Amino acid sequence: MKNKIFSILKKELREVFRDKKSLSMMLIIPIMIPLLVIGMSSFFDYQINKNIDNSYNVGFNYKLSDYENELTKNVKFKNKIDNEKNLEKLLEDGKLDFFITKKDNKYTIHYDQNIETSTLYVTVAEQYLNSYKSILQANYLDEFSINSKEVLDIITIDYKTISKKNNSFYANYITTYAFLFIIMAITISATYPATDTTAGEKERGTLETLLTFPIKSRDIILGKFLSVFISSIITGVLSFILTLISLLYVNKMDIYKNISILPNLNTSLITIFIIICYSALISGLCISIASYSKTFKEAQSALTPLSFISFFPGMIAFMIKIKTTTLMSIIPFLNFTQIFNDINSNNINYLHISLMFISTVFYIGLILFIIIKQYRNEKVLFNS
Amino acid sequence: MIEVKNVKKEFYKLDKKRLKNKFFAVNDISLEANDGEIVGILGPNGAGKTTLLRMIGGIMEPTSGVIKYDDKTFIDSALEIKKDIAYLSGNTKIYKSISAYELLKMCLEFYDYNGDFEKRINYISEVLELENFLYNKIENLSTGQTQRVNIARCLIHDPKYYILDEATSGLDIISSQIILNFIKNEKKRGKTILYSTHYMEEAQEICSKVYMVNKGEVIAFGTPDEIKKKTKTTNLRDSFFKLIGGEDNEK
Repeated sequence: MKNKIFSILKKELREVFRDKKSLSMMLIIPIMIPLLVIGMSSFFDYQINKNIDNSYNVGFNYKLSDYENELTKNVKFKNKIDNEKNLEKLLEDGKLDFFITKKDNKYTIHYDQNIETSTLYVTVAEQYLNSYKSILQANYLDEFSINSKEVLDIITIDYKTISKKNNSFYANYITTYAFLFIIMAITISATYPATDTTAGEKERGTLETLLTFPIKSRDIILGKFLSVFISSIITGVLSFILTLISLLYVNKMDIYKNISILPNLNTSLITIFIIICYSALISGLCISIASYSKTFKEAQSALTPLSFISFFPGMIAFMIKIKTTTLMSIIPFLNFTQIFNDINSNNINYLHISLMFISTVFYIGLILFIIIKQYRNEKVLFNS
Repeated sequence: MIEVKNVKKEFYKLDKKRLKNKFFAVNDISLEANDGEIVGILGPNGAGKTTLLRMIGGIMEPTSGVIKYDDKTFIDSALEIKKDIAYLSGNTKIYKSISAYELLKMCLEFYDYNGDFEKRINYISEVLELENFLYNKIENLSTGQTQRVNIARCLIHDPKYYILDEATSGLDIISSQIILNFIKNEKKRGKTILYSTHYMEEAQEICSKVYMVNKGEVIAFGTPDEIKKKTKTTNLRDSFFKLIGGEDNEK
């Protein structure tokens, strides 16, 4: 029996590795991962540095005091003094980032909500006005010989993160998305050989030939499953290695200052384990769905939703920060991303990992059982 | 010996209102093929020949009836029977991304061949003159060369039974002759051959016995001479039309 499975596996792998389309599907997405990781990191880095370095075009409808002039110079404001109507026109034309009007002691911040950076401009304006308010308060207290520092800094604020790992929002973001890209790469890589080995073989007429040989349908399916599984693992591991290389490259960027975004050995090993589990599940699912199709095209259409199912639940769970529970660790697709997020935050829960593994083995067993039964059914084989 | 008893195969077809209607693609067919015999299964396209041979080849299950190979059936000895069968049809496709050598080696693995693989492949490639393109990918071979590789695939495990379904269909005269010669040689070696075709002249030339099939049923059987004598015709083509009541009736 083992020999037959091995013979089928050899045949299938030979076909996969000699087919340019299958090979390109195995390599295209992994090659894109470094581009995405480096691209996203560079974008974040640019956004942050832009905020620090940029000067702001700010309008005022009143003459600035010496304090205000000094302060606007420090916060890199390029001042424009004019009446409110003209300032509004300049804001509309994009020549101003925002402007401030004053009536008695009331200051109003004017901004354009339709601009993507409007929130940032409001924050900058608030910070400027708060600083100016602090200067006025200090001067007022000094006039009465009261120690302004003691009054104004009556309480101090310090910040301490509860994160166990020396990590940042951007580091979490980039590593989670890199993992989701790996998942997507595996899904896309499994789709093509699974389609080719089932619906493709049916369409080309070679399946009928294969069935004339003294081979059990169980051995045929296991051989086909293993070939898709192996090509998925190759894609997954290659993607992981390329992700590590790109993370190593981007780690020197300002946004990851003083932190290491590279996973440690333990995290890496568990990630590879998750990749292997996911590869097995997706290989079984792809073969199962594609087997029902009469043609290659039909199978590809049927498999398209899998790419979304593999990517979006994990992404949404990450965005709304769902906590991993015991039940969640047995929900296919969601469990892989959730457990990766946990280990990425150094919250390794071996119970969840074991449940993910056991449930995946159960699902694969069930899927293979259904496909083997399906292959005994001639309706599936001769449905054309 | 291959023995087919009262075999039926039921399918569904959709009518105008898209309702499923049962019909028998093979309806109560019985036949026998003894060792060293070429048994022809003749009939027009859609007569049920392919379905019948798929059932005899074990890739389709009959709705009812029995198929026996020397007292063994697919129900209890499917793998054992398949080891002794070579199935070749006009529609049989082979893997194109591999070489003829790789295909033959793969077939030997599938058939659990006990002997020396290299010796067997060399012998078959010598017999069928495959040496010049043995290591070339099948996709690069001509139709005739591909068909020779297909025959080699059937011969490689030295089977006892051949099931050949429209094996010469769509082939040129030279490639067809290669197959016909191969069949004749195998008959001489005592092999049992089931040969389906809609080329009546071909059957007349090589078959020891023929079964004429139309609309899933056997309408006549015997040696080509017996059928011609019975229908008072000079060739099997005319016999067939006489049996179905003329060309117009068939249409």
